[in-house]
Amino acid sequence: MLTRLRHPIWFAVSLVGCATLSAAEPSAESVSFNRDIRPIMSDTCFHCHGFDAKTRKGGLRLDLRAEALKAGKSGEIAIIPGKPDESEVMKRLFSKDEDDVMPSKESHKTLTTAQKELFRRWIQQGAVYEAHWAYVPLKPSNTPTLLAGDRNAIDPFIRTKLAERKITPSPEASKEKLLRRVALDLTGLPPTPAEMAGFLADTSAEAYEKQVDRLLASPHFGERMAVWWLDIARFADTVGFHGDQNQRIFPYRDYVINAFNSNKPFDAFTREQLAGDLLPNSTEEQKIASGYNRLNMMTREGGAQPKEYLAKYGAERVRSVSAAWLGSTFGCAECHDHKFDPIKAADFYTLQAFFADVKQWGVYANYAYTPEPELKGVNNDSPFPPEIKTTSPYLVKQDARVRREIGEFALAKSDPAKVSAWLATLRTYAEKNANGWSSPAGSFEIQKVSAAATPTKKGAKVTPSPNTVTPLEGSRQELAANQSITLKKPLAKTEEVVVSLQPGLRRVAAVRLTLPVAKPGSTSSLTIGLSIRNAAGKDRKVSTGFAEATTHDIVHRNGTDTVGIGNTWNLTIPVAGTPTAVWLLDPPVELATGESLRVTLTGATTQPIQISVSPFGGYDPLTAGAVPQSAAEQAVAYLCAVQPTRADFEQVKMLAAQLREYRRGTAWSLITEARPPLTVRILPRGNFQDQTGPIVLPATPSFLPGYRESTATQRLTRLDLANWLTSKDNPITARTVMNRLWQIFHGNGLSIALDDLGSQGELPSHPELLDWLASEFRDHGWDVKKMARLMVTSRTYRQSSSLRPELKDLDPANRLLASQNPRRLDAEFIRDNALAIAGLLNSADIGGPSVKPYQPDGYYEPLQFPNRNYVTNKDSEQWRRGVYMHWQRMFLHPMLVNFDAPARDECVALRNSSNTPQQALTLLNDPTFVEAARVLATRVLATPIKADRLNQAFRLAVGREIKPSEKASLEKLISDQLVYYTANPAEATKLLKVGLTPPPPGDPALQAAWTQACRAILNSHEVITRY
Amino acid sequence: MPTYDPIAHALSINRRTFLTRSAYGLGGAAFAMLAAKGLAATTPAAHPARGIIHEPHYPIKAKRVIYLCMAGGPSHLETFDWKPELKRLDGQPFPESFTKGQQLAQLQNTVLKARGSFIDYKKWGKSGLEISDLFPHIGSQADELCIIRSMQTEQINHDTAHAFMNTGSIIKGRPSMGSWLLYGLGAETEELPGFIVLTSTGKTGLQPISSRQWSSGALPSKYQGILFQSKGEAVHYIGNPQGVCQSTQRQVVDEIRRLNGTLAEETVDPEIATRIAQYELAFKMQTSVPDLLDFKNESPKTLENYGIKEVGDGSFASNCLMARRLAERGVRMIQLYHRAWDHHGGIEDGMRSAAKDVDKASAALIADLKQRGMLDDTLILWGGEFGRTPMGQGSGRDHHILGFSVFLAGGGIKAGTVYGATDELGYRAVENNVPVHDLHATMLALMGIEHTRLTVKAQGLDVRLTGIAGKQVKGIMA
Repeated sequence: MLTRLRHPIWFAVSLVGCATLSAAEPSAESVSFNRDIRPIMSDTCFHCHGFDAKTRKGGLRLDLRAEALKAGKSGEIAIIPGKPDESEVMKRLFSKDEDDVMPSKESHKTLTTAQKELFRRWIQQGAVYEAHWAYVPLKPSNTPTLLAGDRNAIDPFIRTKLAERKITPSPEASKEKLLRRVALDLTGLPPTPAEMAGFLADTSAEAYEKQVDRLLASPHFGERMAVWWLDIARFADTVGFHGDQNQRIFPYRDYVINAFNSNKPFDAFTREQLAGDLLPNSTEEQKIASGYNRLNMMTREGGAQPKEYLAKYGAERVRSVSAAWLGSTFGCAECHDHKFDPIKAADFYTLQAFFADVKQWGVYANYAYTPEPELKGVNNDSPFPPEIKTTSPYLVKQDARVRREIGEFALAKSDPAKVSAWLATLRTYAEKNANGWSSPAGSFEIQKVSAAATPTKKGAKVTPSPNTVTPLEGSRQELAANQSITLKKPLAKTEEVVVSLQPGLRRVAAVRLTLPVAKPGSTSSLTIGLSIRNAAGKDRKVSTGFAEATTHDIVHRNGTDTVGIGNTWNLTIPVAGTPTAVWLLDPPVELATGESLRVTLTGATTQPIQISVSPFGGYDPLTAGAVPQSAAEQAVAYLCAVQPTRADFEQVKMLAAQLREYRRGTAWSLITEARPPLTVRILPRGNFQDQTGPIVLPATPSFLPGYRESTATQRLTRLDLANWLTSKDNPITARTVMNRLWQIFHGNGLSIALDDLGSQGELPSHPELLDWLASEFRDHGWDVKKMARLMVTSRTYRQSSSLRPELKDLDPANRLLASQNPRRLDAEFIRDNALAIAGLLNSADIGGPSVKPYQPDGYYEPLQFPNRNYVTNKDSEQWRRGVYMHWQRMFLHPMLVNFDAPARDECVALRNSSNTPQQALTLLNDPTFVEAARVLATRVLATPIKADRLNQAFRLAVGREIKPSEKASLEKLISDQLVYYTANPAEATKLLKVGLTPPPPGDPALQAAWTQACRAILNSHEVITRY
Repeated sequence: MPTYDPIAHALSINRRTFLTRSAYGLGGAAFAMLAAKGLAATTPAAHPARGIIHEPHYPIKAKRVIYLCMAGGPSHLETFDWKPELKRLDGQPFPESFTKGQQLAQLQNTVLKARGSFIDYKKWGKSGLEISDLFPHIGSQADELCIIRSMQTEQINHDTAHAFMNTGSIIKGRPSMGSWLLYGLGAETEELPGFIVLTSTGKTGLQPISSRQWSSGALPSKYQGILFQSKGEAVHYIGNPQGVCQSTQRQVVDEIRRLNGTLAEETVDPEIATRIAQYELAFKMQTSVPDLLDFKNESPKTLENYGIKEVGDGSFASNCLMARRLAERGVRMIQLYHRAWDHHGGIEDGMRSAAKDVDKASAALIADLKQRGMLDDTLILWGGEFGRTPMGQGSGRDHHILGFSVFLAGGGIKAGTVYGATDELGYRAVENNVPVHDLHATMLALMGIEHTRLTVKAQGLDVRLTGIAGKQVKGIMA
């Protein structure tokens, strides 16, 4: 095992800047292979003397001790334990001969003298090899003894290393800083002034822990953690290749949020995402989770070869799964054995083989040159099956809210007496027709339609003459009440059936077609036209409003179902239920005595058709027409059918249009559906056209403990893979996840390359701590909240984040954690934070379809197939959290790009954290932040005590009291700006119109001046940094 | 050769430098400043945006790149590669010996017929380069061009072929060429982004283009390309909010600096000093972009030369003039996409129209740079992500990767020459083949960079623009 690490940090540092190493490395220290030698070998030797036989030179392997101790092709022995001077390696390292020296000239790599000396001492000490730290089994480690000052088991690990360097930890951060830090870390949101005041007033010993528990229980914890996991899972709203069309998968995002909120054990979380569909009696939630396997980029590009793209998808899946759960980089093994890690090409393809059953198309189209019969009819607007239809709690809630709002609106706008009077006139009708609908008697006949003459000369202006209609002789039939129309044969293209009805009702608000005895599986297409014929035989047209059917063929636009049916109702008859379509009349019609309602039907159907009418109006075709029961329903029916005020009806229509966007609470989500597995071969050099490689079956990576492989009779499944990943055999999943969780709370992973725990990565700064965390996690329930709580309640976490100048040379990267690391907030939280400070954030809603905040016009112009038009949300969805922002892989929102959010083309374990002028421009000028500033201005101007206003702004923005110098400076800015805006009121008015929030009442100049102060505050480094 | 540079080395081998952002700041410079100021960092770090290569690996022949990307894949057979034999076979079955076992795009599973060029060629200039009659203006610059007729790529669909042409890989997270140049060489301007992208569209043959093509991938986002939009605001968030004048904006930026200065007095965090510097840069950009976009001092003659109907109309011509203005201001890489070249059908009308969009302006850009003495240290690349099949596809041609043409002009290239050749039907490059990685290696060399030495650690690899391949094409280097 690892030797006791007295100065691990020095080595880590040496890789960054070799210059710092030489003077500091004590010479008597025992050399550790993993800590000291492997990184050098990996960087400078393994390329030619490592795992990959194809690039190996001189027949020498240095990655295996037995090989390194053998004579090479030259006859010289590379390493002779205990005898550095006789070892060929040392001769080569120190050679002055350009042809002999190692690393070779071509490699452009060199070793420092100190590194060469390390090599010498390692050989002197016996050239002991160690297995790579990340791959060795995880042993349950003993929880260290707590000493005074330690708050939990994490602290002794950190304290011991600091003590070895004679460094004392930093003092605890102030309570203000601490609460802001932990709130931002656990929820991505700042504490409210009330929460801060409560915490400051709480003098109990457990005051901080109480806050931690409150935050962990908050639904915003899941939103915060989802930002982390969605990068890893490469969650996005679009397919990523070529046309970058929309894909439907937001329920998966909500699954992730819920999983963290309900503290779903990480092993179950793993199983459900990789193999939710394979679990016995899998639930809808588990199927949605399996959408993980579908988050690879997809194409619909013309000319793309399905086989080539299936190979690309398969390869991406290996990269993403290995990065997500194994912290390993399998990518290079697509073409050859890994040069630095023991990952073989075979490992790549045996891992890929687990996913060979994921049903997917290489190219999501049915092009003539690459037919995919199952995708018949698919076009650029179509979704990407397989999908599941599910219910979104968010949409259900919004649906109910709008229905309630419409009811309240109708109640407010209608006179109860008039409603009652109207209902009284319909009492007899309602008694006779309990469900509100009646099928009146009348007659029908078939008419032949001759198309109007079309202009023969190109460009000539001809007024089209109306179609001529000739009744088909002998086709007229009487229709009794409640009788269906049955045609003897389907209508020809040139025929229509005209039904003349005498409803006996003065007012008709809705017309309904039902197919009462339709044959399941058959198709039907009906187009409706309505008119009224008066006693003189003259017709007047009846306009239809929104129409909907219980079942109809789906038309997609930009990946989404369009709602409603227009005047044509196309459907395939379902097995159960009576197909029904309802047309709301807009406006409802009033029939005079002697008038008849004429319904013209064209199209292809042989099903008996029943026509009904209702006097009861509504806004939702599927509920309109019924006899209204509650007061709200009665008011709505009255307002829609009688329409005392047209404007009120228009308002209802507007709300109804909004309602329809909520899709009655339903949503679609990509899922994994198993199919018979495709054959997976090792592809020589990754070439999909080369079918000469051997066929492989699923097996776990050969270099990791607990190897499991398929047999001739038993093919391993994705579920087996998930079970192995989270088994006690496998050490690396727990190490990977704990390393990343640590990074969330401390700025750096314990091993800094979160995406690579292989030999090109880094030995952890505190290997024992990482192993302890990993075994706690793996062996005690995969409990994410417990581990997060442990981390944020440690003394290590609670230290001040001010860096310590005296440690600059001793620990330049602060890897020993003598203080906290300040961290700039992630892109999404920069947005959330600003909106929360302003009081604009819509944080009550969790989940739901992705949202579209303000975005520069024309940004999607280079997107095609179909063309994209970004329409920003016009309601409170505008101010939802960043985690819900529409994730367009090919054109990610500029604000997200500027703050380092990845496009999520593939798994990303660690975001860059840059500091750029684009960030300054975004915070200064993006309407989201300008609006936040002006709304914050309004908010602080409402503070009753004038002198406390700026202070209140600071409490909101950074959770602390303002300093006198800050106050003086901002007051000066405000007074200067007040002068300017008082003199330029039009400018103030313009500024106060940025964003959807209505301009505030009061003096525009004052608001504008304060807006400038709030812009300065929201742009300050402190606001976007978690200290 | 003692070229080892510990800082460059550390940066190139270790992405962890980015990861840790060395808590105390890079190289200790920021820290020294903090210490000198009693930990109060109130002034921006005052060094220009330098790259990691301090000593060029080769003599610098070009300081900047202008990449005129004919997106969609222009036919080499109607641009720079005259094939009389193909013309002779026009309409006849395409010899199977050429095509057997090769990857096709939309021509999969169809009968293949030869399609000869619909346009004639002429010899141009002293060099006598053969260029099709669709490009008389580019022809007039023939003596400045080095035409490569033996390009080969690995990707046959637009999206991945663009990725390959820009990043040398189809794996996501690989930096784009412009990002590499910025990372290696830094920028010569602080007032503008160092890597700028403009797009324009033709009438037909349009294909989408992804912002991934100018992504900095695994490199920090400060190296990403910045898209200048042709519609709406040119640069995102460059304009002040409505109702905010420049003086107010300045006062706000000053106030931000004061707030950040106060913070730095009590908190040791070098990012604060960097942040202050970034606001200054942002403000400079805000003031310099309007000047950049102000074409008033461009003479009517210049506009006429470029064929600009209306400046700033988002046309390729207008973008070419913008490219020159950006080059003058020290932008390292300027990339112009013209989305108009995917001619599966209607190739004759489509190419005539697309050529009309770009011919005059491309030539004017070369001439204009030359006249200003800037052509010598500007490297121009003109070409698409692949070529088109010598077999017809209805009234057009399909995608083709085994042989196509691009041209280079400017710094360090052998002007007035042709390099490489395809077979007699223009199907496959057969002489002096230039794979994309070799083109990259050569372009980097002209910029003074050895391609194997510009690397970044990502996903456990020393990632570079040329993947694991690439060699310099000496035959096109002067």
